[in-house]
Amino acid sequence: MGLTNIASDLLPGTLELLILKSLVSGPKHGYAIVEHLRVTSRDVLYVGESALYPALQRLLLNGWARAEWGLSETNRRARYYKLTPAGRKQLAGERAGFERMVRAIQHVLDAT
Amino acid sequence: MAKDRSDVLQGTLDMLVLKALQLEPMHGWGITERIEHWSEQVLQLGQGTLYTALYRLERQDFIRSEWLVTDNNRRARYYSLTVRGRRHLTASLAQWRRMSRAVNLVLDVTTVS
Amino acid sequence: MGTWLRRLAYLFRQSRHEADLRDEIEAHRSLRAAHLEREGLTSQAAAAASRRAVGNAFLAREDAREVWLGSWATWWQDIRYGVRTFRKSPTFTAVAVLTLGLGIGVNAGIFTVLNGVLFRDLPAPNAQELVSIQQTVERGTFTATTGSGSFTMSEYRQYRDRARTLSGVLAHSDPRETTLGGETPQEVFGAIVSCNYFTVLQVPPALGRALTEEDCEPGADPVVVLGHGPWTTAFAADPWILGRAIELDRRRFTVVGVAAEGTYGGSPMRAGYFAPVSAEPLLWPGASRYADDTNRWLYLVGRRRDGVVLAQVRAELGVIAAQIDQQQPGRSTTLAIDRATPMTVPSQARGAAMGASAVLMAAFGLILLIACANVANLLLARGTTRSQEIGIRVSLGASRARVLRQLMTESMLIAVAGGLLGSVLALWSFQALVTLALPVALPPEVPAFAFALDFRPDYRVLAFAIALTFGTGLLFGVAPALHASKSDLSALMKQDAPGSGSSRLGGRLRGTLVGVQVALSMVLMIAAGLLLRGLYATYTVDPGFAYRDVSYLSFGTDYGPATVLNQRLMDEVEALPGVDAVAFAAQTPLGESSMGGAVRLPGRGENEQRFAEWDEVTPGYFSLLQIPIVRGRSFTEAEGANAAPDADVRPVIISQTTARNFWGEGDPIGRTLLRDDIARKVVVTLQVVGVAADAQLSALGTINPYYIYEPRRPGGVLLVKHRADFRATASSIRALVRARDPSLAFRVLRLEENVAWWRGVSGAITILGAGLGVLALVLASVGIYGVVSYSVARRYREIGIRLALGARAPTVLGMILRQTMRPVMVGAIIGVVAAGAVSRILSGVLFGVSPADPIGLGGATLFVLAVALVSGAIATRPVTGADPLAALRYE
Repeated sequence: MGLTNIASDLLPGTLELLILKSLVSGPKHGYAIVEHLRVTSRDVLYVGESALYPALQRLLLNGWARAEWGLSETNRRARYYKLTPAGRKQLAGERAGFERMVRAIQHVLDAT
Repeated sequence: MAKDRSDVLQGTLDMLVLKALQLEPMHGWGITERIEHWSEQVLQLGQGTLYTALYRLERQDFIRSEWLVTDNNRRARYYSLTVRGRRHLTASLAQWRRMSRAVNLVLDVTTVS
Repeated sequence: MGTWLRRLAYLFRQSRHEADLRDEIEAHRSLRAAHLEREGLTSQAAAAASRRAVGNAFLAREDAREVWLGSWATWWQDIRYGVRTFRKSPTFTAVAVLTLGLGIGVNAGIFTVLNGVLFRDLPAPNAQELVSIQQTVERGTFTATTGSGSFTMSEYRQYRDRARTLSGVLAHSDPRETTLGGETPQEVFGAIVSCNYFTVLQVPPALGRALTEEDCEPGADPVVVLGHGPWTTAFAADPWILGRAIELDRRRFTVVGVAAEGTYGGSPMRAGYFAPVSAEPLLWPGASRYADDTNRWLYLVGRRRDGVVLAQVRAELGVIAAQIDQQQPGRSTTLAIDRATPMTVPSQARGAAMGASAVLMAAFGLILLIACANVANLLLARGTTRSQEIGIRVSLGASRARVLRQLMTESMLIAVAGGLLGSVLALWSFQALVTLALPVALPPEVPAFAFALDFRPDYRVLAFAIALTFGTGLLFGVAPALHASKSDLSALMKQDAPGSGSSRLGGRLRGTLVGVQVALSMVLMIAAGLLLRGLYATYTVDPGFAYRDVSYLSFGTDYGPATVLNQRLMDEVEALPGVDAVAFAAQTPLGESSMGGAVRLPGRGENEQRFAEWDEVTPGYFSLLQIPIVRGRSFTEAEGANAAPDADVRPVIISQTTARNFWGEGDPIGRTLLRDDIARKVVVTLQVVGVAADAQLSALGTINPYYIYEPRRPGGVLLVKHRADFRATASSIRALVRARDPSLAFRVLRLEENVAWWRGVSGAITILGAGLGVLALVLASVGIYGVVSYSVARRYREIGIRLALGARAPTVLGMILRQTMRPVMVGAIIGVVAAGAVSRILSGVLFGVSPADPIGLGGATLFVLAVALVSGAIATRPVTGADPLAALRYE
């Protein structure tokens, strides 16, 4: 894949949602989030820096995640993002709405 | 984040409009109706959004329009898919399926990686 | 809520956060490199692959910043970046800002003048509610031109009583020069006003009371509201002035109030007093206009009621006008109702005034355009030198739109800096200009301090300056920005930036700009040249009468009783040593007043009347001013002495043009003209006894189509022809007059000053025009030089190669110069054509300006070409005859 922003082609806010979901399983740094998404989507989703970091900033701005400097598994300095309770709430709420939208679109696309 | 209003992205909207025209040509209002009906009223298209999309699609030569007389004897602009449009629709549909499947995978995973 | 707090927190430690982000992205990259290594790439390849994401990091940081601070963040970033770039090239910045400052400043200045004269509101509360009402009355084909825009007393009453859309309608006369009696009699300009004047204006007096309706009743005691100026100067701000009597033109008036400072007096002049309309017969000699229903002398101003718009006022007053029309068959009135401004421009002259202002603004606007073209050129040149920097940004992922925005922001910065500089310059130099210019612009009889025009900049000037600033920023910024943003890395990768294909468009753009500059400058230069020619013409034109060594006594409007101005005075003055001739006239030649009336041929009706300018003169007038009588004779002494204002048959002398217009080449002597004396309701017969040569008595450079002289008894303006020393003569005359009546206020002036004033006005305009032309020249020369030398310099390499290949220097240079001269030529041609059109307009507006002749046009073209050639020559100097390798090395 190239460095493209595929994820946000679906609906606005998709990327934020995906990032929140990926944080459910524990705090991660930026690169780890990218890897997580890639792996769980079976190599379809690859998020580039230019999309990832602004999205992460948005999470911080809205208080859905918190950031802290720590050490990565390779002993390098890295900034870890952690889900906040507000973030958890956001994920739960948005996810339902998101699924509804996608399902609705799918209905349209499946119609004959 | 997407709410119940149809906060759909440009690309997705274009795809929906093309899909609506896949069966038969339609006028603007009919397209809106069709999409709203098929999505069980979840997706609501504003006039402005719709006509911007139609203009965009026409400019890219995916659809064409002509003036026809409707059933109740009124003149209306009917839109129909071009060959290019059909091809673009097929490609978009494939892309969409891939993407939404991927996103679903991510959103549904519950095990810790 | 929380979002805003977090935003603030971010702002607080923005630099720390941005550093963090940078580190974070760097860490991300090294993590990815490590991953790629694990997958099998060599560490080098892994690092390279990771680094290839370098562009996205740039965008990522910018987008991240926008998340927190909104799009303002990028604007601010652009501004900071722009300021930094400007600091690195101070010369460029200084030149650009100065050029623009000049252009914008000059325009802001002229707009302030126009604003003060034409656009401002009246100095009264809620002035935007005030409207001026003017009328043009036509009867058949005859349209009265004297007192245009004004109304009779009864017409005023009808509008005042019947207008419902207006809460009040006031009337005022023209400003009148009146003698204020006292120890040293002085002239003041006062107004005769309706008694609701102060109420409608909503300007209460500073002391005492305003005029009331009782003061306007016929037979009421003559009262007056004194103006603030005379109260402080002539009466030392005496608080006991109320109830005292003062003398205006020797009539007693009781002071009932003192007007507040700056109270509008119906004209741009400071009002010395406000007298009620009923007192008008006391102040106006001859038939009273107050009682005369046919005399139009009042100007009307109304105040709109709350919620009423101008259209409604126009509609209602139009109905009233139609009703008035019906009472006089054949009459048709057109009303002009607009927001009231300090300068009541008669509706016919409004077009001319607007036209003149438009021409003025256009001239200054051209300067600004040239300045813009200069700056645009500078930017274009700079764009090429920055192409590397821009190319890098583009390859880093910045979209073209973003680069464009950055460049436009920089242009705006220059524009704003220039605008500020220019506005400050304008404000500063402006006061000085007005103080200098006002005495030149006023006739010698009017003291400069009498003007109360407010030239202080107001919101309109500010809005104009801002609009101009942003407009110019866009104008000169767009094209260079668009061009520069096209740079991309691929062009840069080829190491030879100058002279390569991508700059061909740039060259064309620059060439167009030069052409535009050349054209604009040519127009300005030619216009300036024409104005200079016009000045020369006014200085050498013969007004048709002898004005040197002629003085005149100006009594203001206090004509004084016959005891002073009579035959005896004439004889005494004539007897003075050094005095050659004496005469009386009603008007000063080329003075500020004018008399006129309608005449017709016998047997023709009212609608075939012609409007004639008039004068009443004693018989010696013509020989004194050396106006030859070309046919018939001058007036006899008897005709002069027996002249009576109520004579039904009078002898007249007409001008040559008048004779030609009425009777062609036929002999006018003995023929008659008729004048309708509306006041006395008789027809006066005018018998032509002589024809005088044309003289430019009302305006320098214009011959009136109809000019008529009547005889008069001694009185009016005293003209004295003397030999040599004016001062001695003047003091003797003063002594004589004072001996007879010490309370008369008068001045002894030279007729030359009147002529000089007329010349002065056009002189001022010409100097202004010439100044503009020079400015345009300088700007254009700088611009042409810049572009020509730049485009030549960029081709040094090419020149060097050609020389090395054996071409001869002159041939190569000739080719280069020819190509760079092409846009200049095109510009010159366009400029000539445009100048032709402009000169046609100018010749209609100004005296002595003829449509451009080949010499002027040719001269300007040659000059422009010369500048271009010289610039090219200077630019090619490093290369001429020199070692071709030097040219190659010259980068």
